Amino acid sequence: MSRERLQETIIRILRVVGILFFIAIVAFPFYWMIVSSFRSLEEILLKPANLGLDIRTIDFHAYYEVLFRHGFLRYISNSVYVSVATVVLSVTLATVGGYAVTRLHFRGRGFMSYGILLIYMFPAIVLVIPLYVIFSRMGLRDSINVLILVYLAQTLPVALYMLRSYFRTLPAEMEHAGLVDGCSRIGVIWRIVIPLSAPALASVALYTFMIAWNEFLFAFMFLDTPEKFTLSRGVVQLAGSVHLSKQLVMAASVMVTIPILVLFFFFERRLVRGLTAGAMKG
Amino acid sequence: MASVTLKAITKRFGNIVALSRVDLYVEDGEFCVLLGPSGCGKSTVLNIIAGLIPQDDGTVLLDGQPVDQFAPRERDVAMVFQSYALYPHMTVSQNLSFGLRMRGVPKPDIHKRVVETARLLGIEDLVDRKPRELSGGQRQRVAMGRALVRQPKLFLLDEPLSNLDARLRSSVRLELKRLHRRFKGTILYVTHDQVEAMTLGDKVVVMSDGRVHQIDRPETIYARPADTFVATFIGSPEMNLYQGRLVRKDGRLHFQGSGFSLDLGGLQLNIEEGEVELGIRPEDIEIGQGRGGTAVLQEAKVEMLSNVGSEKYIHARLGQEGLTVRAPKDATFQSGQVITLTIDPHRVHLFHEGRRL
Repeated sequence: MSRERLQETIIRILRVVGILFFIAIVAFPFYWMIVSSFRSLEEILLKPANLGLDIRTIDFHAYYEVLFRHGFLRYISNSVYVSVATVVLSVTLATVGGYAVTRLHFRGRGFMSYGILLIYMFPAIVLVIPLYVIFSRMGLRDSINVLILVYLAQTLPVALYMLRSYFRTLPAEMEHAGLVDGCSRIGVIWRIVIPLSAPALASVALYTFMIAWNEFLFAFMFLDTPEKFTLSRGVVQLAGSVHLSKQLVMAASVMVTIPILVLFFFFERRLVRGLTAGAMKG
Repeated sequence: MASVTLKAITKRFGNIVALSRVDLYVEDGEFCVLLGPSGCGKSTVLNIIAGLIPQDDGTVLLDGQPVDQFAPRERDVAMVFQSYALYPHMTVSQNLSFGLRMRGVPKPDIHKRVVETARLLGIEDLVDRKPRELSGGQRQRVAMGRALVRQPKLFLLDEPLSNLDARLRSSVRLELKRLHRRFKGTILYVTHDQVEAMTLGDKVVVMSDGRVHQIDRPETIYARPADTFVATFIGSPEMNLYQGRLVRKDGRLHFQGSGFSLDLGGLQLNIEEGEVELGIRPEDIEIGQGRGGTAVLQEAKVEMLSNVGSEKYIHARLGQEGLTVRAPKDATFQSGQVITLTIDPHRVHLFHEGRRL
């Protein structure tokens, strides 16, 4: 066997091993979580090491319990509200702001452009204490809407950065054509830039949704009233409660995870590339 | 349609002066070509007229009315871009109708005008396609159609043919000329291609480095270039241009170049003696002994022959200078051969400090 062939074979084997390894460490906990959520408490206590799932013994009781006895219906609706609001605000503001730093000329444009990322460099843990104090003093802490504001501050820099990079790839001549054809600036953004940026907007929306949906730290620090809890906050509440039953926590975790997966697969098909193909000479 | 007037338009990008006091008047219905090498500011002129970039100084008038305060959409001009800039997410018919929709033209009228325009440009079979499904030539037509359908005051065309291949370019050029005859629209057309400028323009504006060198009919630009830039920029192959002195000997004017002297005979000039530049086009030099009474003979040494098919160019040495002469396609010369040339002093261009005498 020649040296090249040997190398190629080794690389191929390593690649397969590597992929299997990562699948295992990611998928195994996920699998375990789902399987456990479908079991009854006795089953888990009797055979804790049993990884197989018997179709006949699938038990949705845990989901029922979590949703209706432990207030998760409320948490889900809170999480949906917070996440959707963050997505809508973040995408809207990032579109307008990203466009401004890409195309419009104004004082401090360069500074703003770099400042966006600078903000992102601060880790959340550095911000959470001062924000906790500030919002407590203002009496605004235990509020879902304030949480949205905080999430916006977290997602907006990256959203702006992503959209700015995408807008830069759009040909300026196309926008000039729109202006000459009778659009205002806003008209150009609405009728030309946004339709052409659909893939980028979808990515930004997905990213923002994931951050807002999964966020725990601020939700944990800011929210006191159980009626205002988001899902991730609710799961921790559940996990920490006295009558701990594993299958309930697992069912709750599944409910946190599934929407993200569904969204991801739904959006992935929309992240079509090359939408601007054909505008230019080609 | 409208007339266009530019008054002392100046534009700077940082420290670079893109346009310096550009004045221009384009009559209603005139086909005006802005010609110049790339980076000379000609596209900037179009963008300023369209209102896409603001000028630092000066005024743009459409039909005598200043439009400096107007947004692009309020100026009622149409523009064709070098890259075509079609809207990729719209079909051809949506691309064509976009400007009309934005201007609130009633729907039945939009439909009628789109159909008419598509038929005129021979793209009626393509109206439901997206730009990415079109060839370069078809995209170019759609871009033209998008301007035509609007029936604007003024057409601004920014190198609209430069992305087409050579064959298509010359046929679209003819078509453009035909369209203009038919519609009599006011057109400002930017190009770096002198053939386009000479064939299309009623009026040609030659520019370089943000300055206007000459505004004239194409024939005049060619026959009487205002300065050495225009002289060498227009015409292919380039005009032969020599530095030298004008001297008077025995009552006759002579041009003294490096290593050769040219008897300018009966030329009447308002300059007596001094430093000048002398230009002569390759096609204004006759090979052999000409018949003209005023003509003077010169000897030159052939260095090389280049064949372009329809004719040949002789690259020769005249004194210490190079010289290009146009020769018929069947001409045969050996390098090193000495040939006699006839130069008519009346075909010679004289410049002093770059300006035409």
